[in-house]
Amino acid sequence: MITAVDLRKYFGPVAAVDGVSFTAGNGHVTGLLGPNGAGKTTTLRMLYGVMRPDGGTIQVDDVDATRHPQAAQARLGVLPDVIGLYPRLTAREQIRYYGELHGIEGGRLEERTTELLRGLDLMHIADRRSAGYSHGERTKVAMARALVHDPQNVLLDEPTNGLDVMSTRAVRAIIRRLKAEGRCVLFSSHVMQEVSALCDSILVIAGGKVVAYGSPDELRARAGHDNLEDAFVALAAPGEPR
Amino acid sequence: MRRTTRWARLVRVVLVKELVDSFRDKRALGSILLSILIGPLITGFMMNRIADRQRAADDVRIPIVGSENAPALVQWLSQQSGVVVATGPSDPEQAVRDQVEYVVLVVPPDFSDKFRSSRPAAIRVVADSARSDSRPQVDRVHRLLQQYSAEIGALRLIGRGVSPAAARPLQVQEVEVSTTQQRAARLLSVIPLMVLLAAFTGAMQLATDATAGERERGSLEALLVNPVPRGALAFGKVMAAALAAMLAVAVTAVLCTGLLRFIPLQELGMRFRFGAPHMAGLMAAALPMCLLTAAAQSCIATMAKSFKEAQTYMGILILAPMLVGVLGTLYPIDNQPWMYGVPLLGQYVLLTSVLGGYAPSPVAFVAAGIVCVAGAAVFIRATVALLNSERIVFGR
Repeated sequence: MITAVDLRKYFGPVAAVDGVSFTAGNGHVTGLLGPNGAGKTTTLRMLYGVMRPDGGTIQVDDVDATRHPQAAQARLGVLPDVIGLYPRLTAREQIRYYGELHGIEGGRLEERTTELLRGLDLMHIADRRSAGYSHGERTKVAMARALVHDPQNVLLDEPTNGLDVMSTRAVRAIIRRLKAEGRCVLFSSHVMQEVSALCDSILVIAGGKVVAYGSPDELRARAGHDNLEDAFVALAAPGEPR
Repeated sequence: MRRTTRWARLVRVVLVKELVDSFRDKRALGSILLSILIGPLITGFMMNRIADRQRAADDVRIPIVGSENAPALVQWLSQQSGVVVATGPSDPEQAVRDQVEYVVLVVPPDFSDKFRSSRPAAIRVVADSARSDSRPQVDRVHRLLQQYSAEIGALRLIGRGVSPAAARPLQVQEVEVSTTQQRAARLLSVIPLMVLLAAFTGAMQLATDATAGERERGSLEALLVNPVPRGALAFGKVMAAALAAMLAVAVTAVLCTGLLRFIPLQELGMRFRFGAPHMAGLMAAALPMCLLTAAAQSCIATMAKSFKEAQTYMGILILAPMLVGVLGTLYPIDNQPWMYGVPLLGQYVLLTSVLGGYAPSPVAFVAAGIVCVAGAAVFIRATVALLNSERIVFGR
């Protein structure tokens, strides 16, 4: 469970995130929806502790993440904006490295690594260096790496960006599975279909502010549009011609 | 206590990953290999040149123009050991300028008249002082002529009933205090320089790849999402680079000193003994420096916006040991205590002393080592501060 209250982040005079508040519950998929530059990535970066908020508080489970960022990070599995695999390490080694950084060792680490490689259908590339991976393979390895410590909360920054249909489906299946396991999943996207297909609740962000928050049905009702895309445009950019 | 062991374990995890990663990197391996081999190659080449030149100076060929004007001198010269007298070229100055000859002796036509009437008889030595490789030959010719001049002078005085000793009011005696080993070390000063350089080149690729490379590939943000203290990350990366530098330093020292066995040092008038205690001294002097070079390089590469930019900085940084080496050759260093407090210079002095065969006090080793470790700590702290800066991590 992740709770953010009045998050703020400024880059010079620009307010990239300007008072974002929400709660993302366990066993629940929360979508962070917004156009490019709306502040989705900055919000996530503050949540996963690589950017300090200029204002507001973050609570991850029972940890105050603004005060104890590392304790919060131990409860988070993160797929960042840029995947950043090590080209000279194999999939197994990347997962193992992150496991070790989380303090997992020995047989338990090997078991968990193999379990993830199997679960994400990565066994065929497990011992190949990642330099030659497809984009879909890289995303899945990064997902496995993020989940190695069995985190209660999972943050995914545009996980399906640039993926083909098969890989997109695979990622969606993973998100559904994480939800079924009772985890709190928060992911950002600018793709409407995806958000409507997966999310229990949607946070629409524009210009660093939350412009709407609710279930897909609630958003449709609020904007007065049956189509979620039209609803999104009405909410995120009022006055924009449809 | 538990926090310390966790910290140490994380350092080890980062260290092992960086080593595995870079040993699969052909560029890093190539650069480490080059840094290991370049020192011994240069050392061997230089030593051989020096030995060749020394041998060449003993066997000197003296082309003489106008030898018919001084048959006695020419005969005397040709009787000296290692001297070959030859007929001089028609244009001696041009021949020397064109480097056809090292040195040419010119005997003017009025030589024998003046010589016979006991007036100073001019004789010209044509040489090019800008050419350092002809120096030994020219010096030998000068010594030979002085010796001949002194002998003739003595004979003339005896002929006039004067003791030759009266014409020598001074007898200059040089007391050489340096041991042959020390003189050898002066000549071998290229080895400390190579060891200093290895500490830089050995760590360079790894330090750059683990910091600027990590950022450029976009893996830094993902790495920082892990609950790992930045200090453990920075220290692990620095230690990995330091180990590479230590490897380069150790191999350079072993190969360079090993090469000396194959170089005819005896012919240079040197005795050079090198054993296990000397090697231990070299390592004690050089290894702590590797921590400093690795930390400095990691810190500077973390600051760089890209891998390319980092490499530019590395190129500038490597001028530091070169400067120490050049200064060391230009101004022969007499050991001052303060020098041990200056990184690189302290190591250079220690290395030169150990090669010179006399051991600096353990205090000097410890002082120089502490300075390096303290410097490394400062750079690691600075790296941690950089990793905490969003401007650095997200490249704004």
